[in-house]
Amino acid sequence: MALLKISEPGGRPAAPAHSLAVGIDLGTTNSLVACSCGGSVQILPDHAKHELLPSVVHYREGQAPLVGEQAKAAALVDPGNTIASVKRLLGMSAAEISSMDRVGRYRLDATRDAGAPAILTAAGPKDPVQVSADILGVLVERAEGCLRGKLEGAVVTVPAYFNDAQRQQTRDAARLAGLNVLRLLNEPTAAAVAYGLDSQDQGNVVVFDLGGGTFDVSLLSMQKGVFEVLATGGDTALGGDDFDHVLADWIASRAELDKPLDALSHGALMHYANEVKHSLSSDETVALSYADWSAQLDRQQFADLCKDLITRTLNTCRRVLRDAALTLDAIDNIVLVGGVTRMPIIREAVADFFGKPPLTNIDPDKVVAIGAGIQADVLIGNKSADNFLLLDVNPLSLGIETMGELTEKIIPRNTTVPVTRAQEFTTFKDSQTAMTLHVVQGERELVSDCRSLARFELRGIPPMVAGAAKVRVTFQVDADGLLSVMAEELSTSKTAQIQVKPSYGLNAGSIEQMLKASHEHAESDMELRTLKEAQLEAAQLIDAITTASEVDGKLLEEHDSQRIAAGIARLEEAVAEENSVRIHELTEQLNRISSDFAARRMDLHIGKALRGESIDDAEHPAESSESP
Amino acid sequence: MQQINKNFFQLFGIAEIFEVDQESLAEKYRGLQVEVHPDQFANAPESEKLRAVQLSSYLNEAYGTLKAPLKRAAYLLSLHDLNVEQVDQAELGMELLVEQIQLREFLEELPEDESALAELESLKSEVFRKLEQRQQSFSSNLEISDLIAAKKNFNEMQFLSKLLKEIESGEEKRMGY
Repeated sequence: MALLKISEPGGRPAAPAHSLAVGIDLGTTNSLVACSCGGSVQILPDHAKHELLPSVVHYREGQAPLVGEQAKAAALVDPGNTIASVKRLLGMSAAEISSMDRVGRYRLDATRDAGAPAILTAAGPKDPVQVSADILGVLVERAEGCLRGKLEGAVVTVPAYFNDAQRQQTRDAARLAGLNVLRLLNEPTAAAVAYGLDSQDQGNVVVFDLGGGTFDVSLLSMQKGVFEVLATGGDTALGGDDFDHVLADWIASRAELDKPLDALSHGALMHYANEVKHSLSSDETVALSYADWSAQLDRQQFADLCKDLITRTLNTCRRVLRDAALTLDAIDNIVLVGGVTRMPIIREAVADFFGKPPLTNIDPDKVVAIGAGIQADVLIGNKSADNFLLLDVNPLSLGIETMGELTEKIIPRNTTVPVTRAQEFTTFKDSQTAMTLHVVQGERELVSDCRSLARFELRGIPPMVAGAAKVRVTFQVDADGLLSVMAEELSTSKTAQIQVKPSYGLNAGSIEQMLKASHEHAESDMELRTLKEAQLEAAQLIDAITTASEVDGKLLEEHDSQRIAAGIARLEEAVAEENSVRIHELTEQLNRISSDFAARRMDLHIGKALRGESIDDAEHPAESSESP
Repeated sequence: MQQINKNFFQLFGIAEIFEVDQESLAEKYRGLQVEVHPDQFANAPESEKLRAVQLSSYLNEAYGTLKAPLKRAAYLLSLHDLNVEQVDQAELGMELLVEQIQLREFLEELPEDESALAELESLKSEVFRKLEQRQQSFSSNLEISDLIAAKKNFNEMQFLSKLLKEIESGEEKRMGY
């Protein structure tokens, strides 16, 4: 928890001298960490001055995992214990992982629930959240070494097209690595921020983000520091790796290699294909030689091989333009993100499609981390947030299953977040007293074609004739793109509420457990850190409430202010006793007790604008147009 | 949850009419969002964050409604206590139904390949023109508080918008994406 207090709602938090906050690009192929220091954002390097950390983890028995270059090297000799491109596995079921793992490289832990798969390694079963956390841990260490201090917060980027399960798991991984996540930020938005603040651009920008394993296109409008995402689209199963696969398959068939390849030869072939792909970015023609086969490959041939992949990316651009209701000539700039966009065949295809060359002055591998670093600096309070705001959208429609296994969309895709939307449903049988709500995400009509996010039940509906009960289901998506759902029977006010956790993933309990386990094993002073954080969080809250009461005490009823005073006293006691769990509980409790007061204060101060008071009333004869 | 007691038009301080200056609406929206967005409360207590989510959501809902002509029209009718969900067959009139059936038949009979693209394009501009006419009529209906005529025009706008979407998806299918 960062240590800022709100001195006045709506004003900027009074920040300490400088809080350490970083932006992290947790990539499929490489990961980076960036920090704003002295006005510019720097990518933080490791001891050997490497900025990119390969997102590869190698597990060893009884030893700490290797992450990065060393793990990448280990992949060649010990592929079974080396996990690469783990980002592609986030949010996946066991069946999905098996179907993606074409060469049977990974053995899955059979004792695990199919919804929460883990890969067996020499260091025990590891699920995608743990593997991601191991990568993040190295970045945290790197940042804390470079910056000589504890990190107080981080912005972690995710592909705009990530679904709820993938977002949740990314956040869980960050928590597991001990990070305070200020915000999950969509990668294309981060890239636009990196470019926008450099050039103070205005206008419409397309971000074309082709990463190792995912593809995103976002269309943003930039106006006076406000970045508004108009539409986003993409493909979570398309990336630079696919170009390697196309090339590897072509080489395998030309060189008449035995099929199927074992894990070791497959790894070697993929490695070679990747090298060839890189050579084709600088050379027009590459001489190939693999085993006892040799041939020539030029860029045009390569472009032809990859034609389907390139067409898929351009079709996504078309859909995004249509969703934003804009035509090609309304696009002012195109930003390229991801190392894959260095490929000349991609740059040419993009330039042809948009009729103008894309911007390339920021390194496409670093642009996302840089944007995240800027946003982290703003959110932690180091930089003024006046006129700097990101308005993002939810990338996939959210809905609920209705009769006939059909999806009823409640929040369509490309709706600006945060968003709250409610819909009413009714019973279909006489005397029906319970209702199961199945929350799904996706664009298709049939529930089975969408991703299932959660199921929960609303019980205790009073028996009535079919169609008489009224159940209001409310969906709320926060600024991170995470969903919570609430259902309420209107005649009895029976409620059921759920913070949607991915069906494929860990529940809150297992995350807590893993956190605990990692604390116990870590040599660091996690426990002390937890206590310090809890104490500081408590102090911050008490301070905020005390200041607020001084300014706006008149908003409080006598018994409210007594309850708040008692809550503060209890919390202060717990702080003195140094019991972090108790401090945490009481902080939550005080938060709840004071929530009404906070809402009233928010309404009084910022809410003025929403009540129309900050807008000149004389300007609008609103009342006169009402029907007589 | 405390309610916000300003309707969408009052929120932006604009007149409750169909004609809305989109540029000034967008500017007001951005200005208000800078004040209430949850990111401005990243380090505030949980309760304030929650309220920011509520206020920011309401603002997004308001902007999304006033930005889109069809949603704006429906909202205006609802402010006059008209239920836009309920459509009476008689309210639509034979003329509209026949016109719709004809347009749809024409759409269905087009060849399923690229040769239909030119026809689709001209059909699209025809439907678009009709839609604009209906929007103008809707606007004048409201001005003189002729709610019955406004509702009828609204129903037609709904039909035409839906048809436009179908034409567009037909175009996409034929272009192969």
